[in-house]
This record gives sequence, structure tokens and C-alpha cells, in this order.
Amino acid sequence: MASIAISASLQRAYSSYHIAKKQQPQPKLARSLGTKQASTNAVTLKVEGQTSLGVTEQVQDKSGSRIDELGNAENTAKDGAETESSGMKFTDQRWKNGIWDLNMFVKDGKVNWDGLIVAEATRRKFLELFPEAATNQDPVLFKSSIIPWWAWLKRSYLPEAELLNGRAAMVGFFIAYAVDALTGLDVVGQTGSFICKAGVFATVVGVILFRRTKDFDNLKKLADEATLYDKQWQSSWQDQKEKKV
Amino acid sequence: MTSIALKSFVGLRQSSPEKNPHFTTTTQAKPLTFTVQNPRKLRVVAGKFSPKVAGRNLRVAVIGGGPAGGSAAETLVKGGIETILIERKLDNCKPCGGAIPLCMVGEFDLPLDIIDRKVTKMKMISPSNVAVDIGQTLKPHEYIGMVRREVLDSYLRDRAKENGATVINGLFLKMDMPKEENSPYVLHFTEYDGKVGGVGVRKTLEVDAVIGADGANSRVAKSIGAGDYEYAIAFQERVKIPDDKMVYYENLAEMYVGDDVSPDFYGWVFPKCDHVAVGTGTVTHKGDIKKFQLATRNRAKDKILGGKIIRVEAHPIPEHPRPRRLAGRVALVGDAAGYVTKCSGEGIYFAAKSGRMCAEAIVEGSEKGKRMVNEGDLRKYLEKWDKTYWPTYKVLDVLQKVFYRSNPAREAFVEMCADEYVQKMTFDSYLYKRVVPGNPLDDLKLAVNTIGSLIRANALRREMEKLSV
Repeated sequence: MASIAISASLQRAYSSYHIAKKQQPQPKLARSLGTKQASTNAVTLKVEGQTSLGVTEQVQDKSGSRIDELGNAENTAKDGAETESSGMKFTDQRWKNGIWDLNMFVKDGKVNWDGLIVAEATRRKFLELFPEAATNQDPVLFKSSIIPWWAWLKRSYLPEAELLNGRAAMVGFFIAYAVDALTGLDVVGQTGSFICKAGVFATVVGVILFRRTKDFDNLKKLADEATLYDKQWQSSWQDQKEKKV
Repeated sequence: MTSIALKSFVGLRQSSPEKNPHFTTTTQAKPLTFTVQNPRKLRVVAGKFSPKVAGRNLRVAVIGGGPAGGSAAETLVKGGIETILIERKLDNCKPCGGAIPLCMVGEFDLPLDIIDRKVTKMKMISPSNVAVDIGQTLKPHEYIGMVRREVLDSYLRDRAKENGATVINGLFLKMDMPKEENSPYVLHFTEYDGKVGGVGVRKTLEVDAVIGADGANSRVAKSIGAGDYEYAIAFQERVKIPDDKMVYYENLAEMYVGDDVSPDFYGWVFPKCDHVAVGTGTVTHKGDIKKFQLATRNRAKDKILGGKIIRVEAHPIPEHPRPRRLAGRVALVGDAAGYVTKCSGEGIYFAAKSGRMCAEAIVEGSEKGKRMVNEGDLRKYLEKWDKTYWPTYKVLDVLQKVFYRSNPAREAFVEMCADEYVQKMTFDSYLYKRVVPGNPLDDLKLAVNTIGSLIRANALRREMEKLSV
């Protein structure tokens, strides 16, 4: 819900026409904005006309986030009441006939893929909480493959990035120190040595592969899981071998 | 080795007037050891080790009259073996999906009228309700047959009976192991005379070998200490739906995947003769099966609206073969051995096929019922089985592990199934049970696409974790 409210408010911010208006009473309607469609379609045309709207945008964003909170509170109250009936249906003004309407995601003349990813994630999360009956009348046509690869890449973020950088730097510094002390080769000299470069590479790969202690366990578990079925099948041949021995 | 061989002479002498037709050269290596010990007898043992059975043919009992038992009994009796089939309930309708691949119709010579429906379309529905139609690549004569188990089972059993097998309506209780080599197994069972509620008569039966085809709760397996397997529980409701809704399921089966439906399997709607079967299965969360069943029904809500549940069934599905599938002259086949594939949960064809393969091994080892069989003869069946089907089982296990793991993986699975190349390969291997090597370029493309789908779906999963709806 959060994302819907935010992006709705962003779109509003772009068309200067809306800024003059007071937006506060709008939030409650945010989920069923039938009337908004005309103006959002117009956004594509008006892109050039917006340059110095930074401040108002911020203001709008703030109001947007407040809208969320309101919306969230409303939703949770509703959810609590309706969990049993499972009659919840996912609705979003940008979700039309089983597909995301890309025209509604346009920002600065380009499709806002980030917004689309968030919207689809929201939809999937919603469906996980409230599984919907699959009908033949309105099939889902949206395919995540239409989102280009760089949009995914931009959003990928390693949570342990800081930790890993720090660890690699500390290991590198300590080894550089040790190598210097042992061989007398200074840091500047080390950067020129092939062996030292290879050592740096190996360290970086090692740091990435084994990020946490539980990675060791995970790798072991994966290996076990991969071989379990083979073991289950081979057991009928084991007692024959024992007999022979 | 020597002890078996020496004993074998006793039997052979008794029936020595009967000439051994199988004076083959294939067993050259074995008689050579005899020439050292007892050169005089070389002429007689040239065929096989085991003694001939005197005055009768080899007697084999088949416990259980499902597809495995039925086809085993038929093959045995056709191979000249005295066959006794013991089935507890002759009109038993087992809870089962009832799908058979096309090749089974040909291989087992099944009449077309036992097939209720010919499924030519499959719909796979992902957790986010993306539906993919599978089956456009099917040729006009290709289909998945849907049968009712009571019909198929009794057909196979009757065919064995026509060929000369003795079918006993009885409940197998236990068996006594032979004390000496080559002495018979004594089976204890209760025979019913077919009257409802009639008290059975306890009887015993002496047989030379036993094929255990008595399903997941196999008593034969228990009596040979075959060990346990993990099992999945499958729950199924037969739902009679209004005629106008039934039109949709005319030749279409549906598969639902998702955490709501089953954490490690799939939910299904299969068309039956005049109703549909709605069900789901799981290994890991057996206690929640009712919840998953409700979820399956909810997912198919609109399509089965107004349906009446006419029967509710639940049954165990083995996950992997038992630790021992063979002991002495007792072999397990079908569900009793644990031959159900992962991922698709298919078992009828493999049961019938394993029954036949085991029976073939016995017929061959006994030289059409003339000789005693031993464990080595039955091992041949295991060897052949594992060689033929192990790759199929392994591939399906890998598929299940990769694609039924989580919701994003399932999304990727459904996305992958939309690909025509995948559909062609899947149906070819399902319908004909043979692995056809694909086009390497297409394989590569498929691998890249699948990895792409998996990455995308998992990226979305991470986005979902950040959100709070």
C-alpha cells in the first residue's frame, strides 16, 4: 500500500496543475482513484514543463508518507476483520486487466521500473497473504521479464557490503604488514608483484564466498540435500555388498 | 557358492530324466568351478545352479492386486509359473490421481474404454495466479489418460485370471521364512468368500517366491524387514460439479503451486469420469493438510463453484525406495518398494512396469517355472530397474528441490513451463518414458532463461520482504 500512495503522490507532484490545489483530503480515496486517470495520462505530455518543482515535490512526498500511515492503519483494521472471509481482492489503479499499465509508471518521460518492481512485489505479497481464486475471466498477463536487467541490478544490494569491505581491508592491511615485516618488500613494491596481486584476488573471493559463519553450514547442508536421494536409492545395494564381503 | 551348488545336485538328480533344454554357453564360467570339484556332474549343471522343482511348476504368490500385482501376475502366469494373487478388496477404489502416460496403453495393451478422459491440456497456476497452458505441443493422437483405479486394477487382475492365475480374495497376515535353502515360504492369510461382513477363514499357503505389491503399508515389506521410507500424504476430494462447469474440465487438468496450496508439492484439479478430483499433498506439514486442501479449493473457487463433495480420500505416497527392496526370494514392487516419482508424484505406470520387470526376472531365472529361483535372479530385476529408471527419478528429484522450494522458485517454474521447448521435452518424457536428448542450443537457452527467471523472482522476493502490507 505504501508504494501505491507514494507513487500516486509523485505523479501528482509532476503536473503543476495539481500543486495549486490542496491535496490533503485526497488520501482516503487513494485506493480507488477513478477520476485521477485522465490527469496521470497527461503526465507524459507535460514532462518538459517541470523544472523547479523540487520543494513542492518534497512537501508532497511528506504528505504522501503521511497518507501511507493513514492508509496502513486503515488497512490493518480492515485486514483484521476480513482475514477469515479471504474475499480480499487486489486492487490498484495501475493494475488493469491482469497487467500493469506502463503508462501509469512514466516518470521524466521514461518508464519508472523501480516503481513497477515495487508495485509487483506488493501485489505478490498481497496474494501470499490473501490467495486469490484463479479465474478464467481475468487472467494475469503481466510478466516480470519485461523489466530490463539493469533495473534489477540497480536495486540489488548486498546487506553485508560494509562488513565485507571492512573485513577485506583489515585482512589486506594486516597481510601487507606481515609480508613487509617478513620479506622486507614494502607496500609499494607489493603492488607490483604478481604473487601479491593473486593473493589479493584470492582474499576478495574468499571474503565474498564465506560472508558469515552460517555460510559454511549452508554449503554443507546444500551438499547433503543434493546427495540424500542418491543415498536412499543406493541403500538396497549396500547389504548385497556387505554379504559379499 | 559351493554350498548352493552342492545342494543343487540333490534336486537335479531327482528330475534328471527331464532334459535341460537350456544347455547354453553363457554360463561357461560357473561350471568350470565344478569341473574341479566334481567333474562327473558337469553335464547336468551346465544350465543353472538352482534345482528343478519336481512334479509341478514354480509357485509364486503376488500379494496385492493393484497395477503392480496385476501386471506381475499376468507376466508370471504367461511365463508358465503357478501364480496366486491375493487381494484384500476386489472392488477397492484407491484414492489416486489416476493419470497414465500414453505409452502404458500400448505397452500393457489396455483397451481404450477404460480411459475415462483424455487430457490434452494442462494449466499450471503460479502463486501470483499466472496461468500457463501446457499442451499446445501435443500431437493430435497424444494425450494423458485418466482412469479410475477400480476399473484399471480389476481389468489387469481379470486378465491375469483369464491367463490362469488364481485370484484369492484374502487379507495377507504374515509369512514364515524358510528355515532351509529352497524350502517354501508359508503365507498366512484370511480368505473371504465375497459375502459382505462374512468372517474370513484363516488359511496358509506354501510358495517358492513372493512378490510384494501391497502398497505403501506393505506387510510383505514389514515381514522381510525392508525398512521404512518417508512418505507424503495426499488428500483428495471427489467433487461433482455442475455440468456447465464440467465443460471446462472436459480435457483439462489443473496444477496449482504456492505456499498456500502445499509447501513442497502441488494442488490439483483432475477430471474424472463425471466429476473432478481436487486435492493436494505434502511431506513436511502433514498436520496442515486440511488447510492446504481448503486453499486448493479456494484457488479453484470459481471453476468448481456449486460442486458437491461425493468422496474424501487420503493416502500415503512414498518419497523414495525402501532401504531393502529384496530379501531371499521376496521382492517388492510398486508403491511397496517406493517407486513414485518426485515432483509429479506419478506411480501407476512405474508400479505396473516394476511388477512386470520383476515377474520377467522370475520367469527367466526359473526357466519358465522349471527351476527354483534365488536372490541372484531377483537381483537382476533391481539391477535392470535402477539402470532404466534411476535417471528419471533423479531428474524429477532435482526439479522438485529446485522449483518447489519457495514461492519465487515456483513463479520461475511456471514461467519456464510457458516455453514451448520445455513443454515438448516434458511431454515427450512423460508420455513415452524415455529421455530424448534435446537440442544443445535450446538447452543452453533454456538454462539461461530459467536462471534469469529464478533471479528475477528472488529479487522480487527481497522487495517483498522490505514491504509491509
